[in-house]
Amino acid sequence: MSIGMQQSWLLTLIPLTSFLIVSLFGKKLPRQGDWIVVLSGSLCFLITLLIIGDFQSFFHGHGFEPVGNNIYNFDWINIPNYLLIEYSTFVDAITVVMLFVVSLVGLMVIIYSIGYMQGEQRYHWYFSLLAFFLAAMFTLITTGNLLQLYLAWEGVGLGSYLLIGFYWEKQSAAEAAKKAFITTRIGDVGLLIGIIMLWRVAGTFDIQTIIQLAQESTFSDGYLTTAMIFLFFGAVGKSAQFPLHVWLPDAMEGPTPVSALIHAATMVVAGVYLVSRMLPIYTLLPIAQNLILITGLITALLAATMGLLAQDIKKVLAYSTVSQLGYMFVALGVGSLTAAMFHLFTHAFFKALLFLGSGSVIHATHKQDISQLGGLKNKMPITFVTFSIGALSLAGIPPLSGFWSKDEILLYTSEFGAIFYGLLLFAALLTAIYSTRLVILTFFGTPKDQEANDHAHESPKLMSVPLLILAFFATVSGFFIFPFVGNLVGFDSGFSGIVYLDHPHDFHIELSTMLVAISVSLLGVLIGYLYWLNADGRRAENAKEWAPEVRNLLLNNYYFDNFYQAIINKFILGLASIIAWFDDQVVNRSGIDGSAQIINYIGFRLKFLQTGKIPNYVLMMALGIILFSFIMVVNY
Amino acid sequence: MFSKIPLPDQFDRLIITGGIVTASTTLFILSILLILKFLDFISYTEVFFWLISTGMIIGALASVLLKNIVHAVFSILAPLLGIVAIYLFLGSEFLALAQLLIYGGGVVILLLFALMMTNVQDQPLVEDGSQKPFSIIICILIGLILISRLLSADLNLSTVSSAELSVLAGVIFTDFLIPFLLVGLLLDIALTGALLNGKTHNVVATKRDGD
Amino acid sequence: MIALENFLILSTILFSIGFFGVLSRKNAILILISVELMLAAVGINFVAFASFFDTSQLSGHIFTLFVIAIAAAEVGLALGIIIRLFRDRNSVNIDEANDLKW
Repeated sequence: MSIGMQQSWLLTLIPLTSFLIVSLFGKKLPRQGDWIVVLSGSLCFLITLLIIGDFQSFFHGHGFEPVGNNIYNFDWINIPNYLLIEYSTFVDAITVVMLFVVSLVGLMVIIYSIGYMQGEQRYHWYFSLLAFFLAAMFTLITTGNLLQLYLAWEGVGLGSYLLIGFYWEKQSAAEAAKKAFITTRIGDVGLLIGIIMLWRVAGTFDIQTIIQLAQESTFSDGYLTTAMIFLFFGAVGKSAQFPLHVWLPDAMEGPTPVSALIHAATMVVAGVYLVSRMLPIYTLLPIAQNLILITGLITALLAATMGLLAQDIKKVLAYSTVSQLGYMFVALGVGSLTAAMFHLFTHAFFKALLFLGSGSVIHATHKQDISQLGGLKNKMPITFVTFSIGALSLAGIPPLSGFWSKDEILLYTSEFGAIFYGLLLFAALLTAIYSTRLVILTFFGTPKDQEANDHAHESPKLMSVPLLILAFFATVSGFFIFPFVGNLVGFDSGFSGIVYLDHPHDFHIELSTMLVAISVSLLGVLIGYLYWLNADGRRAENAKEWAPEVRNLLLNNYYFDNFYQAIINKFILGLASIIAWFDDQVVNRSGIDGSAQIINYIGFRLKFLQTGKIPNYVLMMALGIILFSFIMVVNY
Repeated sequence: MFSKIPLPDQFDRLIITGGIVTASTTLFILSILLILKFLDFISYTEVFFWLISTGMIIGALASVLLKNIVHAVFSILAPLLGIVAIYLFLGSEFLALAQLLIYGGGVVILLLFALMMTNVQDQPLVEDGSQKPFSIIICILIGLILISRLLSADLNLSTVSSAELSVLAGVIFTDFLIPFLLVGLLLDIALTGALLNGKTHNVVATKRDGD
Repeated sequence: MIALENFLILSTILFSIGFFGVLSRKNAILILISVELMLAAVGINFVAFASFFDTSQLSGHIFTLFVIAIAAAEVGLALGIIIRLFRDRNSVNIDEANDLKW
């Protein structure tokens, strides 16, 4: 049996099996079973390549014509004419892109983790969780129906929760895990409501059927808009968009490879994936689409500003992740599936690279605060080079991958409206500034902490090789936009000819927007370079003097956390105390204790009926017989 | 005359009173029935039936009403043996035989043994429960309800078919074989249970403090 | 010939008397006797119906046979229990055996 698109369920099965094996028997296996997870990760990558090959054979330059070969399903629960729950997989261009990203980054992170987590306690548990997360993530991106998507959605949420709280002995890690879980859960409620609303009218969970029904106007416009906004709310929670973005920076409490895998490359783009999957419906609904656009834009700007002053190396990256996810939502908001998926594709590589690079730095120095770092350029050359590639790619410097995808988004946004274009350019400028700042404060200048610097050394091969591989992809993945690169790997068109919404279109260079983008990026890098190089942190002091309010605002993340905490304290806890009072007084004292006391009293009174004399009982029996006899006599 | 026979005092009185009461009532009823027979109201069969029925009812009443526990247990013999005759009337010889052997031969003797092993010789008189008057009403009520129901039913049958022993045996050992074997097993278990129950040394464990 | 009703009425009367005995007696042995009386009454009922209705199957006769067998087993066990009760508390008055009441 050849493995193709119909066998994508293997991608769920293999990591899940390794999860079970490693979590149950990991302690007894040699090397605590990490090789099992590596093996399953490699197998998944291999299967992904086979699936891509199969995908290619159904791809004809002007479209993807699978004639049902991309679908696999069996009935899970089938109540005829009422409810059909299937396990189903569905593979198309979006899935293929996601599969490649997840399996490659997943494999890199697993290999990297062997070096990074060496000697940690609960080593096998960490690897089994990675496998569990991969299983859930593969289920999520290969799913063909919404219910299975929800299941996998919660699965990745659980994996994320457990991995953020991996160092649960640390108070902050435990709280960050809780925060991440609860915040995304708020969005998940919206997702569930949306799924139920769609199911109520469509009568099916199958995504393609729902899209078809929506295009045939089976739903009323208002109903569909409401349902899709609820669905989008789920994506907002998972992808850390504007009102619910607060969990992602805190999620950096987890081990760094986890941040690279879950909180940069894969899980957080699940929201983007969901909206991309549903984009044919969203394009029918201007209100919902504008909501996506505005949410994405606000997030991109806010997160970029917050990244400017963050002190923790991983938090800067987290804010930039949030910001880049905002970019993707902007692309979806303007209706360009190609741009969103392309940015997702490139971003996954360079952001995973950045996280793994920062992990390498943390591993070497045991410090995360960039004001404590510096001067690592010569100590860790591989990390420095790869990290710089990632950062420049993030900043949007050509010819690195980030430039091409960001340019694509900017291009579509410029066609949409000048104001969005301008704001997005501003965010790009900020992105360039903070990524430059990150590199300079970490690798240039004089070391602030000489002792840590002395101990710093280049990471082992297990960690540096994944960095190099990811750096390679961060460099070249942008070129997939060109048709000739597509030809090289077997597709006869570029990225925009593979992943598209209604019809494939060729890549074209809009020189003006490209020049503007290049100049903005270079300007940002220049500003960052001039401002922070050789500044040794004094410039931050300056900022305290000339704009203390802005600085405080940014350092406190626009007081979002305080605001939410206030809401929780004043409103939710107040409501909860009312409910607690109700529960205590009405439900417990009156309802449960009260009924028990009534029964107790009645029982005390009635117990005297039990005389202990058998003839009494027989007499009661006789009375009962007579009663029934009379009833029967009357009835006949 | 009786003093020469080595019997306890109460047995003397039992035999005298029981004999006098039985003989007088039987003679009285027999004479009534014979008069009815000679006036051609009833046949000889019916004479016997009524005689036996009356005896059974009197015996049953005596067994539930008499104060002396020994008299009560002896009185139960009348209905239990009367049933033998009833079964014969109904054409079931085998059942009649079984009834005679098991009840007349087994159960009543067992009951007398039980009486012997309890304190009947010290206190032969028993007192009844406080709900006796109420129970009379209840039982008359139940009897009347049942009789009224059965009289209102339409039972126009007067031919008795006798159950021949060979036919009965055939049915028991074919259709009812499994239940028959199970009843045998049940009896075995009951025997073992009664044996275990009667063992002396277990009693100590259940003996309460202060008794 | 004797009609079916006669047997049934006899059985009913015996049953009622037996029931009265169960209700009114305090001595365990006498209650057991009353129960035997009721069982015998039921036996008459079975055989009467079987003889008048069920000519081929003889189910009523066989049922009565089983009733007799089970009654014998019951008497054996019950008397064992009664004797044990007597040994335990020197009385067979069942009103005194009321440990399990409230």
